[in-house]
Parts: sequence; structure tokens; C-alpha cells
Amino acid sequence: MTSRGTPSRFLRSVLQNGVGRYVCQLKRISIIFSKKAQSSLGARDFIEEGVVDYANKNPGTVVYVSPQPCRVPKIVAEYLNGNVREETITSKTSQQISELLTKLTNQSGLEIIRIRKPIHTDSPSIQGLWHPFTNRPPSIGPIRPQKPNSQ
Amino acid sequence: MASGYLLNRGALTLGIHCQRVCRNISLSQVREKKRWMKAYTYLMAKKLKLEGPPPPTPRSQQPHWDYHAEVQAFTHRLHENFSLELLKTAFINPCYLQMEQEKRKGLGVESETAALVLKDNVQLSKKGSAFAESFLTDWCRASFLSLPAIGVESIVGHLTSPTVITYVARNLGIEDLTMSAEFPVPDDVLCSTFMAVIGALQESSGAERTGLFLRDFLVTQLIGKDLFDMWTVVNPMGLLVEELTKRKIPLPEPRLIRSAGASTVLPLYFVGLYSDKKLLAQGPGETLAAAEEEAARVALRKLYGYTENCRPFDFSPQQQQHQQPFIQSVASN
Repeated sequence: MTSRGTPSRFLRSVLQNGVGRYVCQLKRISIIFSKKAQSSLGARDFIEEGVVDYANKNPGTVVYVSPQPCRVPKIVAEYLNGNVREETITSKTSQQISELLTKLTNQSGLEIIRIRKPIHTDSPSIQGLWHPFTNRPPSIGPIRPQKPNSQ
Repeated sequence: MASGYLLNRGALTLGIHCQRVCRNISLSQVREKKRWMKAYTYLMAKKLKLEGPPPPTPRSQQPHWDYHAEVQAFTHRLHENFSLELLKTAFINPCYLQMEQEKRKGLGVESETAALVLKDNVQLSKKGSAFAESFLTDWCRASFLSLPAIGVESIVGHLTSPTVITYVARNLGIEDLTMSAEFPVPDDVLCSTFMAVIGALQESSGAERTGLFLRDFLVTQLIGKDLFDMWTVVNPMGLLVEELTKRKIPLPEPRLIRSAGASTVLPLYFVGLYSDKKLLAQGPGETLAAAEEEAARVALRKLYGYTENCRPFDFSPQQQQHQQPFIQSVASN
């Protein structure tokens, strides 16, 4: 599929975030892992080592840790704008999981699609849009709207 | 006749029964081969098609929900010091209390044994909306010095309108925490909850912090907004004449400055407003009347200081303003 056919949006932030104050957009994170399964070895390591540090560092994010029999451990991240992202952490090490969590924390929660330009502004030009009369002096002498049937 | 019917029916049911038995005991039953799965998924798909998707469940009824932790995280996220008691009260709507009472009555629980000791947010909401109104009015007056009272009122009206408030509240995660009878939370309930949160903030950390909160989350919605999107002026020329007579400037004189493509389907006229032989403003339009109106609007925007290219509003955080002199003093030392 060509890039024109894919969904796209302009660069923007949720609720003008960062204009007044920065609000971490990640509101809730649930780490779902198994107590026994081989695939959630790294997740168990992370829960022993890093999860308390993470929760201390990010008081604005609620961290839920839920052990349940599952083969695919995953992280479910919920954002302030209502979006939910699921990331599988099958056979990832503790280090990799903590990197993934940092990434999820820094994201805005808007859907990840092609961004049309790396820059965006709501007011494209402070001089005004160009038109054929830009930078021309007002014409001298009388102007009358031309009548179509005058010729 | 009747006996025949009965017999017929008996035979039918027997037939169905036999069929069912036969289907259950399938001859080629293999372990881990889920032969029932296809029929089941088909049935579920059909059910979904008939009944539509199930109604959305509130986040508080889904797994992984700790209300206290969520409320605490809410205060930390916004970098505000709410008193948790007040904040929890702010989220409780009267409709939720009513529903809860009825539910308990329906379950047969006596009101004495399980009394609802919860306050609703009506007081806080009233307080919050009054504060928001007064703060926004003050802010508008301070930022747009020459804007008349009607204009200020319409800007404040736009900022406190349900569309803007619900948009802000939904993006701040207030919807999840709101205790409401219905789900999804109706707009008016969400509005009153947001106002109650403002009221709670004002009670717990003072008017100044609340003002900053409003500035950061509500006033930022003004960015990229045009004045006349919020304020509908039917006759901008009349308003301009009024304003100019107030300021004792000679009345505007509309002149056609430029025109192009007059005989085509896309004509373009530029009308300039001259006052005392000076160009006040110029505006384009497809007809002469539209161009004149546009020019009047441009002139009004210039008069009120709400042009597209005006200085951006000051949203710098309060803490930095305090820190800056400190850094400078360190540098000078």
C-alpha cells in the first residue's frame, strides 16, 4: 500500500499538553504474568527488581501487578485520552521490560500512525496567506467591479 | 384429532432428541479437536449481529481497579495538592447516591444497618463554577484590555460551555473516577464533576493554585481560536462604527481596493476601510458586501487586540518564574 493510503495525522499533543504544565499521559499500567511459565521469567525478575522503583518514580501512574496463569505475559497501558495499548513481554529480560515501560510512559497515547510532517503549527503564517495581491500597493484611481455584460 | 397431534408432537420431540444425541456422540470425536467451536462461534457472531455490541462497562467494574490509588495518582498527575477527602466527595454525584439508595432498598437492606455516609458534590460544584466564572472573566479582562463586556462574556461562555468542559474532563481522566448513575457519563454530570474538582482544589490549596489550574487546562483551549468563532457578531460594521465613535476616531469609509475575476464564478474583491485617509483594515470576499463585512471584522480584531498574529498568551509555569532570579544570581556570583 502506498503511503497515501495509510492513515495519517499531524503532529499534536493531547489537550495542549506542555503549554501550561506537563501531565504524564499514562494513567494506568497492568503487568499480567504467570507465576510458573518460562515465558514470564523476565517479568518475574522485573517485578522483584524494578517495579517498585518505577512506581515510586511515577506517582501519577497506577501500577497493577497481577499473577495469573497465562502463557503470554503482557503489559496493558491505559492513557488519559482513553486509548489502551497491549504489549506482550514474552521472554523479555527485566532490562528490556523496564525500557519498554519507559517508552510507554513517555508516549502521549495517540494512535501511532504516519505523521505527515515532523512539525506542525495551528497558525501557519503570521504574515497571512499569500494571495495574488500580497505586497502590492493599493491601486491608484477608481476601481469598479467589472460587469460581465459590459463588454 | 387431539391424540393425533400429541402423537405427532411426541414423535417430533423424539426425533429432535435422537438427533441431538447423535450429534453429541460424534463418531470421529478426537481429543483436542473442538468440533463444537465452529457452531459456537457462528452462534456468537449471529448474536452479535442481532443484538449489537454489548454496552460499555465503566472502568471501575473491570479488573484491576483500586479507587484510592487512582484518586491519589490523579492528584500527583496534575501536580496539585488536593485533600483526598474533598476530592473523593467531588467525584460523587447526586444521581449516583440516589441510584445506590434505590439499589439498597431493592436488595432489602435496612437503611439503618447499611447507611450511606457519603456527601454529594453539589456544594463543591457550585463553588467551583462560580470561581471558574470569576477567574476566567478576570483573566480575559486582563489579557484583552479593550474587549467590551459582551465579548468577555462570550469568551467565558465558550470556555465554560459543556463541549469544552467535557472535552477537557475526558482527557484528564475524570470520567473514570466519576461516580454516576449512568454509563457512559452524561455531559452535564461530567461538567458538574469537573466544576466540583475545581471547587475541591480551591478549598484545599487556595485560589492562586486553582487559577493556575484553570489557566493551564481551560484557557489553553483558546489557542488557535478566532474571536468571532466564539462571539457571534451579526453586524460587525455597526459595532465598528460604535467603537470608533467611542474613541473619537473618524468613521470608516469602505473602498474597493482590488478586484479580480469579476466575470468568473470565483470573483475576489478586497475592501479597505479608511478612516481619516488612513487604512484601518482590509478584507477579502466573494461579493462586495462580504468583503466589507470581513474588513470590518479585521478592523475589530485589531482594535480589540485579538489578531491571529498577536503575542501568545503567557502560560509559563509559576515555579520557573521564581527559579529564574535564583539561577541568575548564581550565575552572577
